[in-house]
Amino acid sequence: MATLDIDRPMSAEEKKVIFASSLGTVFEWYDFYLYGSLAAIIAKQFFSGLDEGSAFIFALLAFAAGFIVRPFGAIFFGRLGDMIGRKYTFLVTILIMGLSTFIVGILPNYASIGVAAPVILICLRLLQGLALGGEYGGAATYVAEHAPHDKRGAYTSWIQTTATLGLFLSLMVILGTRSAIGEEAFAEWGWRVPFIVSIALLAVSVYIRLSMNESPAFQKMKSEGKTSKAPLTESFGQWKNLKVVILALIGLTAGQAVVWYSGQFYALFFLTQSLKVDGATANILVAVSLLIGTPFFIVFGSLSDKIGRKPIIMLGCLLAVLTYFPVFEALTKAANPDLYAAQQKNKVVVTADAAECSFQFNPTGTVKFTSSCDIAKQVLASSSVSYENAVGPAGTPATIKIGETEIVSYTSKGLPADEAKAKAAEFKKAVADALKEAGYPAKADPAKVDKVKITIILTYLVILVTMVYGPIAAMLVEMFPTRIRYTSMSLPYHIGNGWFGGLLPTTAFAIVAQTGNMYNGLWYPIIIAGMTFVIGMIFVRETKDVDIYADD
Amino acid sequence: MLKIFVGFVIFAALAIFVIMQGGDSLDMGGEKHGADAVHAPAEAASDAASDASAAK
Repeated sequence: MATLDIDRPMSAEEKKVIFASSLGTVFEWYDFYLYGSLAAIIAKQFFSGLDEGSAFIFALLAFAAGFIVRPFGAIFFGRLGDMIGRKYTFLVTILIMGLSTFIVGILPNYASIGVAAPVILICLRLLQGLALGGEYGGAATYVAEHAPHDKRGAYTSWIQTTATLGLFLSLMVILGTRSAIGEEAFAEWGWRVPFIVSIALLAVSVYIRLSMNESPAFQKMKSEGKTSKAPLTESFGQWKNLKVVILALIGLTAGQAVVWYSGQFYALFFLTQSLKVDGATANILVAVSLLIGTPFFIVFGSLSDKIGRKPIIMLGCLLAVLTYFPVFEALTKAANPDLYAAQQKNKVVVTADAAECSFQFNPTGTVKFTSSCDIAKQVLASSSVSYENAVGPAGTPATIKIGETEIVSYTSKGLPADEAKAKAAEFKKAVADALKEAGYPAKADPAKVDKVKITIILTYLVILVTMVYGPIAAMLVEMFPTRIRYTSMSLPYHIGNGWFGGLLPTTAFAIVAQTGNMYNGLWYPIIIAGMTFVIGMIFVRETKDVDIYADD
Repeated sequence: MLKIFVGFVIFAALAIFVIMQGGDSLDMGGEKHGADAVHAPAEAASDAASDASAAK
């Protein structure tokens, strides 16, 4: 349990605790990136035979697996962890995650077993989502309850570094397999290998976790018969604790999540989709910045043991609020100066009947935006064009004016698929030609991409991530008493990261399309991080000196 | 700590090497949700991983 032996080095047992706990979160990230990198192949193998209606339902289920079930996993496994113990609960979560991943690797595809293939795949994804919900809280709680009082920030920050490890591990396995067997065989059957080799990671994790002891704080509580009989009621049914859960969400994890997603995922998306930097260059620049930034998880975790968690997390949120606009504008100048110049020089106006324009928020990807206004804005937004909106006469189709060229948009509703496709191609070409004439580059010119400056900017964004994410596990653990810690900390973490963070790309795109400015998507993380900063500063207490066993 | 640092540097070098080899066929955008997860682009699947993220 807690000791006040500040200067002693980490013991072998403590190292093992951190290693065993972190392996689970490596799994989490390994999976996360596998399903990203292999999305196209998995879709082809499992979903390509479905009709449109079924594909729609599966899209909703895939969305649920990614977003909805994780908080439920947090509640379910958090409750178990507070009742039967941390060790056995996160042994179960890693087993579910690991076995589900492995089974995906041996699952017959749609061509072999028909619709059963996507059904089983989605069930496995749902199971993984549930297990994920319980994994992080277990790892953070377990490590923190083994850490000395004055080193909880440093010890738990190791868990936070596993995102980078999981990313690169998945890329290494994917690329290693692809290089060894060739592209064709990889698309045919080789994609299964990264899923199957995860069994080795699972075996090591389970072996180590089995040899671990239960958290001493939980063990003591159990031996004294003080464990919670109803963790959910205690966590969320009593205002005293529910208030802290809500504060942990809106005053900490929501802001942390949007800063994290902006720094890692949105920055990559912005580089490739908005600034049209080629994928290979963008990947390397993001990877370099991630690698430079990763040690800062430990730096800020350790620093939080000395100066407090709250100042570091709040400063990270404040810097995000204050600097995102200038930093992303600097990114544009460094990555695609021609685009920046074109944006400054040319005025683009969309004139449309306001009744035709919708807020294109489409988190499941299943809504089709068919009005002439929505189509026009989609095409411009995806071409990184900043535009002004003007109100047109009711009932008339939207138009795009680029310099002196005016292009009339179209409505795709009710059109046969072929005709809609032809219309879309014709419209996109007309817009692309007009944009080209106005000086908008189709791609970032490689000779003008300032790689050093981009790496510095991306590293800054990653360092903001490490500021908000490095100390967060320790802080969440310290906000709740041992008897309901696992349950109480898991839910705000997963709602914050899954919902506030996970919805960032789609919300940002909808804002960009709605307002006509490619930087306006940043309002989403800025508003959320600003909310967290204000609420956190006023209502969230510093926790570094809290005795986490005081109420045991 | 020194061992961890050296290990990390080796890991970082290996990671960069892998990503340089992978070019734009690697997608570091993370898990796909909703329609992105179930619709395969028309191109060869292995080449299209990065395109899938573009739809987000």
